[in-house]
Amino acid sequence: MSIKEKNKATTNWIPLVIRWGGLAIFDVGLLWLIMQLVLDGAYPLATVLLLITVFVTLVFLVERFKAFRWMSVGIGLATLFVLYPVVYTIYLSTTNTGVGHILTPQQAIERLERVQYIPENGQRFSWTAFRADDENIALWLIDEEGETAFATVGNVDTSAVAGQDGIDELDEDGIPLNIDGYQRLETRDVLAQLDQFATINFGDPDVIIRISGLNSAATTQQRYRYDAEQNSITDLQTGTVYTAERGSFRSEDETLTPGFFINIGLENFERFFASSALRGPLVNIVTWNFSYAILSVVSSFALGLFIALLFDKLPGKKIIRTLLIVPYPIPALVSILIWRNLLNPDFGALVRLQETLFGFSPNWLTDPNATRLAIIIVNMWLSYPYFYIISSGALQALPSEILDAAAVDGANVWQKFSKITLPLLLRIVSPLLVASFAFNFNNFNLIYIFNEGNPPIAGTPIPAGHTDILISFVYKLAFTSALADYGLAAAISIVLFALVGIITWLQFNYTGIFEDKD
Amino acid sequence: MKQLRHILKIFILMLMLGVYGLASAQAPQLTIWTDDQRLPVITELAAMFTEEFGIDVVVEPVGTENTIDGLIRGVGTSEAADIYILPHDNIGRVVESGAAAPIDLGDKAEFFLPNALEAFTYNGELYGVPFAIENIGFFRNVELVPDAPTTWDEVAQVGSELVDSGLVEYAIALPDLAYNYFPVYTAFGGYIFAQDETGSYLADDVGMGSDGMIDGLAWADALIRDGYASENLDWEAAHVLFESGQAPFIMTGPWAVARFQSGEVPYEISAFPSATEDGEAGAPFIGVQGFMVNPDSENLLIAQTFLTEFIATEEAQQFIFDADPRPSAWLSIFEATEDEDMQGFAAAGENGQAMPAIPAMGFVWDAWGSAGLLTAQGELTPEEALTDAQSQIVTQIEESE
Repeated sequence: MSIKEKNKATTNWIPLVIRWGGLAIFDVGLLWLIMQLVLDGAYPLATVLLLITVFVTLVFLVERFKAFRWMSVGIGLATLFVLYPVVYTIYLSTTNTGVGHILTPQQAIERLERVQYIPENGQRFSWTAFRADDENIALWLIDEEGETAFATVGNVDTSAVAGQDGIDELDEDGIPLNIDGYQRLETRDVLAQLDQFATINFGDPDVIIRISGLNSAATTQQRYRYDAEQNSITDLQTGTVYTAERGSFRSEDETLTPGFFINIGLENFERFFASSALRGPLVNIVTWNFSYAILSVVSSFALGLFIALLFDKLPGKKIIRTLLIVPYPIPALVSILIWRNLLNPDFGALVRLQETLFGFSPNWLTDPNATRLAIIIVNMWLSYPYFYIISSGALQALPSEILDAAAVDGANVWQKFSKITLPLLLRIVSPLLVASFAFNFNNFNLIYIFNEGNPPIAGTPIPAGHTDILISFVYKLAFTSALADYGLAAAISIVLFALVGIITWLQFNYTGIFEDKD
Repeated sequence: MKQLRHILKIFILMLMLGVYGLASAQAPQLTIWTDDQRLPVITELAAMFTEEFGIDVVVEPVGTENTIDGLIRGVGTSEAADIYILPHDNIGRVVESGAAAPIDLGDKAEFFLPNALEAFTYNGELYGVPFAIENIGFFRNVELVPDAPTTWDEVAQVGSELVDSGLVEYAIALPDLAYNYFPVYTAFGGYIFAQDETGSYLADDVGMGSDGMIDGLAWADALIRDGYASENLDWEAAHVLFESGQAPFIMTGPWAVARFQSGEVPYEISAFPSATEDGEAGAPFIGVQGFMVNPDSENLLIAQTFLTEFIATEEAQQFIFDADPRPSAWLSIFEATEDEDMQGFAAAGENGQAMPAIPAMGFVWDAWGSAGLLTAQGELTPEEALTDAQSQIVTQIEESE
């Protein structure tokens, strides 16, 4: 072996070991996760994760796919966090998933078939566990009349008494201190294994005795039996038959819990488009949603730009700049709550001030138009620093020659601003304006924290507020009602997604931001 | 190539060993979900359980909303906690989704306040072991009003006179015209859902627009129209009004006691007034806090043991009571309390009604709140507002079916 070859071997092995080791850890972690998911019955997510695992493993093991190595992480994460949720949301929107309909039909049936009941001639016992030398468990039972019995798997000895069959004398609770061939278990030992013990069927196969709690056991029978042919469940205790219908087993006047989810096709979309929600306040909400988003962007941009222009040339602008940016690092939540209290009609500082100065103050939280104005003002306060920062940055980047040339040609300040600065600036910031519009269109925080969409609109078929935007309205519709209808919410969010997508696409097209115009 | 095959074999073997090691069984352990506020108490309680029974318990501060959310989304998996703490009015959605297991208290049931157990009963089965009950009480500023008024007319009269004499700004502070105003509605005979003979609420009999509700709301409407109560309903503002002495009355719950105690206004809590001299006292909603068990738990029976053998004992109940003094669900502790505030709440809650736990209640809050706001702003009369709310609730119940 030449020195050269030897070198090559050593330098190749170390990264290889690191790579395989890393891959092994990665795969073990993911396989463990996948196993948990499979155990929990989350097959779709498990499948996606498995595909990602196989993909990453192949890419790192097979030399031919070397080119994908550094992209694989990105592809994997994008699949997991972007693609999968989108597909899953679409899938969810075709089901009736929601409170009462979370389990799969199989899970619901399993759950119901596990339910036990004590028949009329059944017996309840208190029990003490004994462990045989061969690790089998036996129970010393005392029924409600004080009769004792000794139960093993397959047999109940009701004649078991102290002094016979190796049964030692009884303690004050009526439990033998010792039984030959068995070891008596104390509460602490029993408790840790309680759930294993509960799976054991003690006694005669015909009259099974099961442990139902730390101190209780009973002769129980299975309560519900599933009939696959009829797709129904029979209550063996009462004989009632429950048939599967709309995600629950129902009899004429009763519904079994839990229910399960089923595929209902496009019903959620139909329900949304046909619901009284749409017949009522939607026009109001959509109009306000658009005007709110547009006004927010325009007003905060105007203020930010104005301040940027104003302080561009002033001395001490560093200090001013720092002070002006203050609203920005304060969490929006805090700012909104402070504004809400400042505008409180009863003790708000700003309201008091207005009353002293002008003798009256609009009702900032209860008058529809005043509340809308207040929301725009608060949003200006929240977002002008952002536009101030980008405007002053962009102003620095504008070519000064053009402005100088305009000055030489005798243009006044307004002409320079409107004909040169603004058009040039808009080209730079319009993508940000569009993004800001899309953000504000769904700015749930501000609306909900400031006034929960209130004041309410009178006489709507379902509750809605004058300052509700689509997303806050949908949130109330799908979530604050305790029914948490995930299927409907998924359908609505797809509609919203389409809506915002179309608007954004139109804006980009209309403003021609991404086109080369030169 | 041969070498690669060997490497692959080792690789697969390592994987299998790793997966096996990670997935192999461990000693049973219980997880409890609670909220931040109760975390220290429950943690100590859990340590007591571990000492007595030898089972490890992990307590996680999850919060009420996240608990419900996590439970419902985690149904059928082992993701959620084995044991969790919830206010009883959430059991409807938890049980319907299959995230609650029935509890058999046996003869221990007699140690509990009957209406606390009733609150945790759904479709005839008990789903929780209660430990605290809470309801709002009728607070008054004893400096301004030494004796508790017995009728709502008297409240309005006493309050208005105080306003007229310039001592206060409003006759009563109103946090809302829904939950915190329920005793007025009930005093006038109002109800949200009718109850059948077993006390279960009926989703198909909505009483929002009933005469009693309208009469109840008219009481506040009259005060607001005359300027004796604020037309701005705001929970925080109402409490500030009371604690600054600007309103002699407020209806609110135990959560407000701490701030009132640290304030300067001397207060007393009493039972709610009635509509007429010989009428029934107004009834608040009663909320009950309790421990519940997740049927997906791998240690279901151990978890149930935690509830029935440990939480359902006087020691544990006393411990919770001492650490977080709220009226206990344990009869003997409840009756033994000498704290004046708690006695006041107990008096106010004597005829209280368990907050409906049926899922349809979720449609009530928004509609009810809106009706209150629209009335307060003078946009609708009480009758119009509540009739609208009634039809909103009925529409939503029908559309959800």
